[in-house]
Amino acid sequence: MKGFTHFISGMAVASFFEQAVHMASQESSFILCLGGLFGILPDTLDFKLAKYFYKSDFEIKPDPNKLDAREIANGIAQAVNKAIKTGKGSVQLHTMQLASNRWRSYQLRFDTKRSEICVDIGPEVDTGQIPFDGTELTDPEKAHARVKVNCEFYQQFDKVSNIAIMTGPCFEFEKRKDGKMEIVFLPWHRQWSHSFTLGMLVAFIVGIITYFTVPEGANTGYAAGYYWLPRWSLYPLIILFGSMVHIIEDSTGFMGNNLFYPFTKKRTNGLGFMSASEGIPNFLFVWTAVICIIFNLDRLRWNPTGTIEASIANPLSFWFWFYIVPVAIMIFFFIKGKREKEIKAKENGTSEKTVDFDGPQAVESETDASII
Amino acid sequence: MEQLFEIFLHPEYLNLIYFCIIGILASAIISFLPALHIYNVIGIFMLFVLNFQNSMESMELVSLCIGMIVGYSMLNTVPATYFGPGDESMSYYILPSADWVNKGRGYEGVILTGIGSLTGIIALALLAPLFVHILPTLKAITSPHMFWIIGAVIVYSIMSEWPKGLSQSPDCWTNFKEGWYYLGIGLLLFFASGLLGFIVMSKTLVKPQFAFQSITPVFVGLFAMPWLITNIINIGKIPHQHEAESVEMDWNLIARGTFGGFLGGFFAAFVPIVTAGVGGLMAGHATAQRDGRLFVMSYGTCKTVYYVGSFLLFFIPGLNLARGGLACIINPVSMTFGYKEYFIFVGLMLFAAGISFLLLMPFTKLCIKIIETIPFQWVSIIALCIIIPAVIYYTGEGGAFILLVSTGLGLVPVLFQARRMNLMGVLLLPVCLNMAGYGYYIVKFLGLL
Repeated sequence: MKGFTHFISGMAVASFFEQAVHMASQESSFILCLGGLFGILPDTLDFKLAKYFYKSDFEIKPDPNKLDAREIANGIAQAVNKAIKTGKGSVQLHTMQLASNRWRSYQLRFDTKRSEICVDIGPEVDTGQIPFDGTELTDPEKAHARVKVNCEFYQQFDKVSNIAIMTGPCFEFEKRKDGKMEIVFLPWHRQWSHSFTLGMLVAFIVGIITYFTVPEGANTGYAAGYYWLPRWSLYPLIILFGSMVHIIEDSTGFMGNNLFYPFTKKRTNGLGFMSASEGIPNFLFVWTAVICIIFNLDRLRWNPTGTIEASIANPLSFWFWFYIVPVAIMIFFFIKGKREKEIKAKENGTSEKTVDFDGPQAVESETDASII
Repeated sequence: MEQLFEIFLHPEYLNLIYFCIIGILASAIISFLPALHIYNVIGIFMLFVLNFQNSMESMELVSLCIGMIVGYSMLNTVPATYFGPGDESMSYYILPSADWVNKGRGYEGVILTGIGSLTGIIALALLAPLFVHILPTLKAITSPHMFWIIGAVIVYSIMSEWPKGLSQSPDCWTNFKEGWYYLGIGLLLFFASGLLGFIVMSKTLVKPQFAFQSITPVFVGLFAMPWLITNIINIGKIPHQHEAESVEMDWNLIARGTFGGFLGGFFAAFVPIVTAGVGGLMAGHATAQRDGRLFVMSYGTCKTVYYVGSFLLFFIPGLNLARGGLACIINPVSMTFGYKEYFIFVGLMLFAAGISFLLLMPFTKLCIKIIETIPFQWVSIIALCIIIPAVIYYTGEGGAFILLVSTGLGLVPVLFQARRMNLMGVLLLPVCLNMAGYGYYIVKFLGLL
């Protein structure tokens, strides 16, 4: 899922705590933002920290002046061969920057049927990944290469990786019990940062700090009804549920999480309901969060005299018109889109599964005015 | 319906059409001044117009403003694309549009944005009857929570900036430092802009009679000046611009672009201080937009809904939400508006959008002619020669000093590849903390009290 989806979902979860809503409206507290902060934090930890400290066995830095697809494919095969021998091998592919807004692209695919690594040198592209005409390699020997390896690949998705701008992807090869070679895309992603254990650990540490530092405040009169939980406990709970909602949302996609790191060693596969970058599923979560926040803010409004009427006079009507109807429309268009994709895939004879992880290119190629 | 037609076709209201057209034409002239923001110009324009206050009715003034804001929101795409943006909302759009200009497709980009603007106005008009019922409720629910909603916008803006750099060193720490270098610059920029915002808002250096324009030198410095300076030192040449006869769009793309853009624009219009750039970024992420055409088109919707929507909110009966500079400027001279005035507003808005869209094509062609005959750098030099004396004239030496400081800050993203949106800290940070009630303590801590 997109970072924004996690962010707003974290805030929506926080808005279910009536004490937190009270603190926000009456005590100028930013506590609801804490849910958003920890909602997006797992990806922040990965892309701003973990990715820098993952050491690959091999690094491939193609020379833009001596382009050779075979050389790249052989480099990847080295990592595969290491995995055949030792059980594990990894490779980091680097991009080729030619000028501030010019890159040479190349594509990588693993052919499961033939056990081949396929590399194609692509055209030069700009930072928006728009190709420059006439920049394709003319020599087919140098532009395309297939290198056979002595193992059978296992990959959940038939994904073509386009390596073009910013940072290139990393692959890990891991020998499975059945002898097949599993291809793990971005091995540093969704590991320890995307585990319930980390969420619990952070919540525990914050809980200790807040236990000694957060005073109970004036929880008397009308406010006393709100504080059935001690005030200090709100912070760790919001942090815990904020990070949990991220992991749960990510599990609905193709790439799963390492749920109980370090007790579980591997990243599981996701449920595969939707792709991380698909518009409708992302918006469905965002809309659900928005509606929950609005409903909770109204439901938990400050009303000490009991005379302030709810702005949402009829909750049933509110949920029907603002949630059920839009969700039904979204589901309709989502299914329609899926069917159209399936028909297209059948016509083209390609895989009908669109796989799109929130990999480095998805997060880095964001439209930003100052990138050039 | 009959009543509605009667209102619009009644000769009594022809004067409103007349003022609306004057507004559109004025906006065309204002739009042509590169890198200037409508609210800066409109404030000065209003000082002139208010001399005729006795001979002008409130609704005529409103019509003039509708023409100006709708016209500006559509026509400013042209100079922003070719010469540089006037504010953060436009900066957000500039990267892809500059890219289109470099490929000789600037005209197509402008028209796509124009289509987006038009669909945004149509969406606003279609939803106008619903707004009357929904928005007062939404305002009642969110009002006590607005400070943390702006806080959430700040947190997301900061958190959603990802490290840049190639990470090709064998040393992990070198890669880490490279990635965090850009993030660190962005963070520093955000807080430095926030500090500038606190200083400007609590102790303005601008002449008292132009205090309502105290933020002008800041915005000109942060957003307009860096673009003009970059244009002047840029050795590149604008390639020949192809005047396309059609644009590559389908209804699916139009619907998606309008939807995403509307969300961003509406959010920016409803939440104080949030601009179309910030709203557009969030809506783009919420709806997972990727296509370049979709972005350009949806940006047109976003900025138009932001500019026009924030003005429209002021006229919604039972809401009267003063968002955006224009609503604040006309606030002292406006009357009480009812349903009739509100729907006249909607009608005039549609009329202005239609006329502005028709003007967009010749306006763009004229702009292309200018950049193809006059050296690109000279346009920016002329713009600088207009802007700097104008700012100094209206805001004095104090304003000139603010302009200098904010220009320095505005150049940081250009020099260090940081996100330009961080500059919005100038408004986001002080306003958020002031709304939460912490602003006083910060101002006191800074010794500004």
